[in-house]
Amino acid sequence: MKARMILASASLAVPLLIGAGRPSYAANTAAPTLPVATGQAASLTVEFAPVAANPPAPRMGDRLAFTSSIRNTGATPVEGLIAWLSLVQVDRGHEQPVDLEDWSAHKAIAVASLAPGAAVTTNWPMRLIQAGHYRVVVSAVTRAGVALTPSRFVDFTVAPKPVVESGRVLPVALGVPALLVGGLLLRRRRS
Amino acid sequence: MNPALRIARKEAGELVLGVRGQIWLAVTTAVLSGFSLLLVGSKELSLLDNAQVVYDMAGLVTALGALLAVIAGIDAIGGERERGSLLPLLLAPVPRGSILAGKLGGPVAAWGLMLALAAPYFWAVGSTGQNLVSGMVALLVLGTPVVLGFGFLGVALGAWMQSGRTALSVALTGLVLSASPLLLGPSLRQSAIGRIFDAVNPFSAALNGFDAVIIDSQGAITQAGHAAVAVAWLALTAWAAAAAMRRVSR
Amino acid sequence: MSLIEIDHLKLSIGDAPVLRDISLEVAPGEVVGLLGPNGAGKTTTIAAALGLLRPQGGTVRLMGGDPWTGGAALRRHVGVLPDPNGFYDWMTAPDYLAFFADLHSATNDATVIARRMDRVGLAPRRGQLIGTFSRGMRQRLGLARALIGDPHLLALDEPTNGLDPRGRREMHDLLLDLAEQGVGILLCSHILDDVERLCSRVCIIDGGRTVAQGALADLLAAQNSEMRFRLELAGPLPQDGAVAAHVRILHHAAGYAIVDVDAHVTPPEAWRELFFLGWPIVAIAPEGGGLEALYLALTGGTAPASPEMERAA
Repeated sequence: MKARMILASASLAVPLLIGAGRPSYAANTAAPTLPVATGQAASLTVEFAPVAANPPAPRMGDRLAFTSSIRNTGATPVEGLIAWLSLVQVDRGHEQPVDLEDWSAHKAIAVASLAPGAAVTTNWPMRLIQAGHYRVVVSAVTRAGVALTPSRFVDFTVAPKPVVESGRVLPVALGVPALLVGGLLLRRRRS
Repeated sequence: MNPALRIARKEAGELVLGVRGQIWLAVTTAVLSGFSLLLVGSKELSLLDNAQVVYDMAGLVTALGALLAVIAGIDAIGGERERGSLLPLLLAPVPRGSILAGKLGGPVAAWGLMLALAAPYFWAVGSTGQNLVSGMVALLVLGTPVVLGFGFLGVALGAWMQSGRTALSVALTGLVLSASPLLLGPSLRQSAIGRIFDAVNPFSAALNGFDAVIIDSQGAITQAGHAAVAVAWLALTAWAAAAAMRRVSR
Repeated sequence: MSLIEIDHLKLSIGDAPVLRDISLEVAPGEVVGLLGPNGAGKTTTIAAALGLLRPQGGTVRLMGGDPWTGGAALRRHVGVLPDPNGFYDWMTAPDYLAFFADLHSATNDATVIARRMDRVGLAPRRGQLIGTFSRGMRQRLGLARALIGDPHLLALDEPTNGLDPRGRREMHDLLLDLAEQGVGILLCSHILDDVERLCSRVCIIDGGRTVAQGALADLLAAQNSEMRFRLELAGPLPQDGAVAAHVRILHHAAGYAIVDVDAHVTPPEAWRELFFLGWPIVAIAPEGGGLEALYLALTGGTAPASPEMERAA
């Protein structure tokens, strides 16, 4: 799995991982109560939060969804808006960006032009592929912008689920050949 | 009893009861067991890896099934001709079409046995993962025409070529070429030549279908295009086998 | 109606002409020998007669129909013993015969199968796998397979291959018995002794052409070929002075006699005459001349090798 992860943009990973110095990684699936953070770019704000229907204690294989709202707070239209989802694993000693290839088919949006005061809302579905502690964020840039605008990040924890059970594999892997060979030998003895 | 069914029963019996067939069954279980045992120690496999395992196993079973089918097909005509047992069959009061249909009994039985043998392995490695049942359905729907097509190909080559060894060499070369997507990485398959090859290669059709159903969780019904390629392969090889059988004289 | 009727048959395999002008006929109840050097086209002739190969000229009739277009139905009452003769070694003989009985739509009842095996002397081998059979047993099994479906026509290629002397005699007796019952037999053999004992007519081919066809005695007479034999004797010849009408004694010593048999009679008729006269004959062997001389004269001088010699080569 680790070999198949493709490194996400390092510039995104670093600020997310710096935030990993927090003392705990409690799953944060509730609607945010803090004031919505705004990005440093003057004309865009990015709100990002998990949907209410997400399972409270997700496991491998479950599906989560997040919603974002990108608003043009400037006086002029914003051209060439791109927003994308980024995911990092923040387990101590295993901090790394996560390739969204298998987690989500919906990784980015592009908007040709966003009028002043207008907002674009997007749903970001995700399937939980591997156990661990994760941090997810949406970032946005415009054609004329000089810096990206990240949302606040959302932490969540995926509980493990054993998917290859030796209790199932060993009897089959050893038993089937034994049965087959035993049957062949028995037949040979009879003939 | 219908002569085709009678011949098919004989072919299937030879596969199961003959020494060659028994060895092949043992080899198949050894390969599947080896593959499964590799996974036992890795408890940290992610859900995706589990799907990858099921996908890889589906590809492996299809490749083994195609190999067994093409060998059984070559032996059904070419091997029997070399052993001198084909001529009495040709001289029996049975139409050539019935003989051909009956000869497919070997590859059909081989594939049926492969699926039966593989079922517990799929359950063992994939029952706690994703898309196991739909994956096995995809294996049945897509893998069957691909494997039986190789069976027909074996019959055609065994009938055309005087030497069973030559027929086997040609068949194995074709099988390795067709199964090369199993070995090539996705990036190589994205080249222009790779895409053309992927579009016409029955093995690729099966693998792409397995990928879509097992890993990407697409519905089996959406794989009609891949199924069409596999069925076209089956039809083409069936025609070749029928044409070759008409020319067999001893 | 002839069982096999071949008239001026022409057949090529690829671009190579194999049969140029073959004519052959087998009627019910007669045993016809098909002789010729290696590569003369004997096997190809049989294949064409049975519908395995399509001729380019002439006519071929099998059981009154065209074997190429008539399909499998015409072969329902045809039994074939090809050479080489392969089997499914993983089967037992009863299973093998039952398989072919099913294909011939004949009964595969265990009692009937057992009777067939008994007829060819394989009853003691009922439970053994064919893979353990000797060559002679395989030949017997092949004959049993050929007799499934109660054939009206038998096409046999080297039927005594691998049989010991007793087996050969049993095979001869069986074939003569079948001919008496009306079965037509096309016998392809390099063993001229078998041909002389069994065949009432022969067809000799060379280079893809029929060079001689007809009653053996007539052919020998036409070639002005006498038949000379060495007779091993268990005692002295009868002293009553009776003379065999068709046998001329060339030489007589203690224990054997060299005789010429008239070309107008068959050897079996001559032996019946001598037995009636009281000759104590225990063995009979050709002593030059006869069918071998006829064969050599018609086929360019090379005597047919025995199957064993061919395989050794």
